[in-house]
Amino acid sequence: MARRLAAAYNWFDERTAIRSLLRKGLYEAVPVRGAWFYTLGSATLILILLQLITGIFLTLLYVPSVTEAWASLNYLKQHDAFGAIVRGIHLWSAYILLFVIGLHMVRTFFSGSYKRPRELNWITGVGLFVLVLGMAITGAFLPWDQAAYWTAVVVTNIPAYIPFIGSFARALWRGGDFVGPITLSRTFGIHVWLLPVILFPLIGAHLALLRKHGEFGSYINYRGAYRSREGVDVPPAPQQRPIEPPYPALPTDELWAAPLQTEDFYPHQTFKDGVVSVGLVILVFILAVGIGAPLEAIADPSTTSYTPVPEWFFLPLDELLLLVPQQLIPLVLVLPAGGVLLLLALPFIDRDAERNPFERPAVMVPGAFAVLFVVILTLLGSGRLFNL
Amino acid sequence: MNPLLAIIGPALHLLQGQLPASAPQGSNIVAAQAAIGSLFSLHILIAGLVSGAGELGPAIEFLGYVRQRRRYDRLAHGLGRFITLYFSVSSTIAILLITVLLVGFWGHFWTTIVTIGWWPLLIEAWTFVLQVSLAYIWYYSWDALRAYKGLHMAIGGLLAIASFLQVYMIDVIASYMLTPTNPQNPIRLVLNPTSYPLTVHRTVGNLAYIGFVFGAFCAIRYLRARTPEDKAFYDWAGSFGVLWGISMTLLQPVVGYSYAKEIQLHAYASWYKMMFGTLSPVFLWQITLLGLMLITATLYFGRRLRTDGAPGAGLLRALSVAMVLTTLLAAQPYHLAFTYADVSAAGLDRPFWEGGLINPLGSMIPWKVLALMFYTLIAIGAVVWYLRGLPGVIWGTARRGEERLLLLMAVLTMLMMVTMGFIRENSRAPFLISGEMTIQGQQNTQNSQPTPAP
Repeated sequence: MARRLAAAYNWFDERTAIRSLLRKGLYEAVPVRGAWFYTLGSATLILILLQLITGIFLTLLYVPSVTEAWASLNYLKQHDAFGAIVRGIHLWSAYILLFVIGLHMVRTFFSGSYKRPRELNWITGVGLFVLVLGMAITGAFLPWDQAAYWTAVVVTNIPAYIPFIGSFARALWRGGDFVGPITLSRTFGIHVWLLPVILFPLIGAHLALLRKHGEFGSYINYRGAYRSREGVDVPPAPQQRPIEPPYPALPTDELWAAPLQTEDFYPHQTFKDGVVSVGLVILVFILAVGIGAPLEAIADPSTTSYTPVPEWFFLPLDELLLLVPQQLIPLVLVLPAGGVLLLLALPFIDRDAERNPFERPAVMVPGAFAVLFVVILTLLGSGRLFNL
Repeated sequence: MNPLLAIIGPALHLLQGQLPASAPQGSNIVAAQAAIGSLFSLHILIAGLVSGAGELGPAIEFLGYVRQRRRYDRLAHGLGRFITLYFSVSSTIAILLITVLLVGFWGHFWTTIVTIGWWPLLIEAWTFVLQVSLAYIWYYSWDALRAYKGLHMAIGGLLAIASFLQVYMIDVIASYMLTPTNPQNPIRLVLNPTSYPLTVHRTVGNLAYIGFVFGAFCAIRYLRARTPEDKAFYDWAGSFGVLWGISMTLLQPVVGYSYAKEIQLHAYASWYKMMFGTLSPVFLWQITLLGLMLITATLYFGRRLRTDGAPGAGLLRALSVAMVLTTLLAAQPYHLAFTYADVSAAGLDRPFWEGGLINPLGSMIPWKVLALMFYTLIAIGAVVWYLRGLPGVIWGTARRGEERLLLLMAVLTMLMMVTMGFIRENSRAPFLISGEMTIQGQQNTQNSQPTPAP
């Protein structure tokens, strides 16, 4: 049996070169220290794939129409336990995905991994973050229950604040002046076609660029070669492993070209990636079974008693909207757009070779404040929602 | 009923029967309030430091470990020593003086609030035990666990959690007194409308406060230091303290504004009193104090860089001027009388250039909100510029002027703490528990509606 399997494998390898592909994929050098932090990227990928698989299952049943959308999901809830779990996995993996991709970005930002030559890795990563957020926002419309309807009303109104083309953009998304059947059809199309068509090639580009330049890690992987500005207390360099591909990427950046200690991606990093990813998938499954995906009453545009509650990832923006005066609301709504533009421009603003977060105050201080503000606004927003 | 509550319930009722039936009345109430208020202020000034040190100390130890700098370790150790020395002082005031006075003067209120907040108060008591145990272990095992730094930092992490929980649990009670909810529902009690904002506000505030106070302490030690090593350490630690303090203070405009918003939504009478009523001049003093703190910090940053000829001192001076202008805007009163009700009563509700008593530049929206935004942005700029200039600073060369500014920072912060406590506690008046129990001990009275906001 084993001989037959080996023969089949050899037959397959002769035609596809799978053996060398696997070798190339698994035996790449990665930094040793802090490797648990580098599992966030693979966890993001696993959660996106989970989204894809459960999303395909859901499209087999979901009907994107204002009369059938809620009924199709209600059928899942009432009569199809497996389908309800699949929907729960879709929802909870989306929530956790947003959290994990956010952590991944924060880690990359603090470690200065976006710097030369990895600027395009960062830009594609920001693009992926925006697309995932877009998927979450458009996905929230689809159940067409009260929460979905009022989310659609609020969110489709946001483009109206864009100067000059705002009203046109809102009407284009809504399919008219009001949220209705065309809004749902268009949002469904955006959710299952438009965004994924951009998302998956961008994931490919992100991974290809990662393979080209190698995992940067963080400044602790360069200690010894790293010279502190104050020049004190930096421990001696550990035993250095011979530099191997994909390092060093750039001879112009000697200090930060390759980590001092590396190990093979397989089995060391794959083990850590596996532990984190499997742990997250188990967590998603527990939440999907234990809590499931909520479905409120069917959308009723004529209601006056319903209090819309934003999705948790909207909480910072929602809290800020509550705090600022009426006149400044457009400014708050363009903040996210400004933030994304700033993130895209970051590698070109912060061009200094320095990677140590303690030596980059001009970027780290505003960045840390931005992160803290988001966390605090989320906390305050969640507390307020509880007392609505 | 919970068995523990079944045991304690009758005991509380028995205690209630033994306590004075009525709260102090007439002129006695002023004396009683003054006694409780001054002791509470003293308690908060020390307890805020102990809590802040319990959270900041472990964070500094971790920072030192990551950065491999021994001076962080020395600073964290100093904070540990502070907790072990002052925990008992703070607890003595809290337990012996405040509790005894509260039970004596407002016994009915005391038994009511203990019955309502039984679980948070029980957790509070245990977090005290946890906090002091961990603080002593953390401090006294410093050298013994030097080879096991991870374990030592983990103990520090637990100390930080205990310190946070201790603040949170007492905030549940304090916030309930302002925005009471259904006391039968423990989740509603713990997550009452102002418990989150108050806890975030106080936690961030305590972290800022300890930074400013140890900055001032280091300023005194710097001026008395004899060796170059000590001078370098206290100079650096003072700078670190004010930098840390101001970084935390930067978050407060948003957090404090959010807290005020919740008070507006859930305790309108208190909010009205703060913004337009008898507390509005004190509130104005508070926002002015914030400006003075930020001006002092920016001046310190600029002076400290200039002493060693480090780059950025000129820009920091310009930022100080911007901060002064922002404070002038923030400190504008809206009504040029003691309260807005006085303006309405006099029929002078129009701008001062039309002969009225209203100053539109003092309105919260948009001017004070803009001032708060400017405060935050200018102060972020000041922190960034100071950090950029720091590599050019030689520690141990600071002049007396810088150290005086550090001392002034601590004084301003203490004033701020006392002012905020005064505003919060008095905003409920005449209630001890908003809408439910008056300070004279009457229950279930109807809250009078204030003059509507313009």
